[in-house]
Amino acid sequence: MQLMLSTNCLPLLAGGSIPGDTHMDGAQVAGVLTAGLGVVFAALVLLVVLIFLFGKLFELINGRKKQKETAKVTEKAPKAAPVQKKPAPAPAAMAVPAEDADEVIAVISAVVAMMSTQDGTTYQVRSVKPAAQSLGGRAVWAMDGRRQNVAPF
Amino acid sequence: MLDILMGILAGLWESSGLAGLIEQPQKLILIGVSFLLMYLAIVQKWEPLLLLPIAFGMFLSNLPAVLEEDYMFHAAFWTQEQTADWFWSVLHDGGLLDKLYLGVKLQIYPCLIFLGIGTMTDFGPLIANPKSFLLGAAAQGGIFFTFVAAAALGMTAAECGAIAIIGGADGPTSIYVSSKLLDGANTNLTTGTIALAAYAYMALVPVIQPPIMRMLTTKKERAIKMPQLRQVSKTEKIIFPIVVTLIVTLLVPSAASLVGMLMFGNILKESGVCERLVDTAQNALMNIVTIFLGISVGATTTYDNVWNIQFIFVLFLGAVAFSLGTACGLIIAKIMNWLSGGKVNPLIGSAGVSAVPMAARISQKVGAETDPTNFLLMHAMGPNVAGVIGSAVAAGVLLSVVAY
Repeated sequence: MQLMLSTNCLPLLAGGSIPGDTHMDGAQVAGVLTAGLGVVFAALVLLVVLIFLFGKLFELINGRKKQKETAKVTEKAPKAAPVQKKPAPAPAAMAVPAEDADEVIAVISAVVAMMSTQDGTTYQVRSVKPAAQSLGGRAVWAMDGRRQNVAPF
Repeated sequence: MLDILMGILAGLWESSGLAGLIEQPQKLILIGVSFLLMYLAIVQKWEPLLLLPIAFGMFLSNLPAVLEEDYMFHAAFWTQEQTADWFWSVLHDGGLLDKLYLGVKLQIYPCLIFLGIGTMTDFGPLIANPKSFLLGAAAQGGIFFTFVAAAALGMTAAECGAIAIIGGADGPTSIYVSSKLLDGANTNLTTGTIALAAYAYMALVPVIQPPIMRMLTTKKERAIKMPQLRQVSKTEKIIFPIVVTLIVTLLVPSAASLVGMLMFGNILKESGVCERLVDTAQNALMNIVTIFLGISVGATTTYDNVWNIQFIFVLFLGAVAFSLGTACGLIIAKIMNWLSGGKVNPLIGSAGVSAVPMAARISQKVGAETDPTNFLLMHAMGPNVAGVIGSAVAAGVLLSVVAY
């Protein structure tokens, strides 16, 4: 094991350090090929293992941090519950998704209103629902953003 | 009076380059080649940042002179043993390009370029998918199989190593290895010819790779969509260069200079606290070193060094090296795809050739030909940057097994 980690193992694996001006025989060439590919793969496989382990370690640490933050939020929520008012009723025709729903609906409504002024037809937004994510698990807007970013290539 | 005037004019003529051109008309061939390279760099935009300085260096060093002291570059200096007296004679008697070439001979320029490359590289895709390292390693098969091919053509060990490193598709690495291996070697090959071939083939990667990629993969394989990469934290990106430097330097100390400088540049960037240093390394330092490196390396391409059968071998084996590197990366990627149950698109294997980011772009482009909604670019960047590390490790291996 110590020999394998020694800096001298490479010339040994190649059949000895080869003088630069020599014409090599088959054994020496085979030695260089084996030593070369072997050492490159060994070094990078070791890096794969280490980086993978570091990645798992950081995922574990980040996971624990998130759990602690979630626990803190959960402790605060019961205290805040008595002061919560009944949320304002959404417009009857709207099915509202999770975050930033109000801004998204406002933008969509503004665009639809502009369409109405352009062609004289009155449009009404009846519901807003998330699009089906069938394209490799990615949202349509994310897909289009990617398409625009890689188009120059 | 007339005699004196004629004597002066005769003396001027005898010391002029025109007389030198009549004595050595073969230099016109290299001057013509330098014009061709300038055309390729300026009009066709083949790696212009390095090809243009190399071409102009070739032009300058092949302009004929009669008196030794008028030459900007003296090829004879660079075949001598490097003693203290030798250094003094280069500094005292050498031309401008001789003095600039010292940075190549002392392995300073390639390492500083790697420093700049480190500040411009994002190892995030590689950290998110460490298996990409295997593809970076696989693509270095082009180096070692080309070593075998060069040996089969009867080349010496130093020549084989210097030619094989072209397959790493990395200009600074090629210059670093060839300048060490060819130092004092009895060969017509020079660092300039190796660099010329390396940068020319790097510019040809969009031509060389796609046919091999289509030949070795099926349409179904090219259409494979890979899952999105995970987010990589800043802490991981800071620890990564330290870990890589530690492991590579312990295993292959001769690669320490290249990998160490690459990772030094990267940690400067990722730390976020050395923005001025990063700005300098990415811009001013890279540009200065690129100018010095390019023009001095180009100056080594004299007629005797280029117009011989070995240069033809270099051109042939360079194409072999790139093709084999692409093929090896694709084959290992196919094996990974098979072992993972169809989760790895084999096209990213060809990006293990360390022509960053060109090889990754080609993986994206060929993948998009089959399915325009398939975005392989970030997945291909992992093997691409892994190839930079892999080629530096391979360089260290060559420097360890071939004595210089």
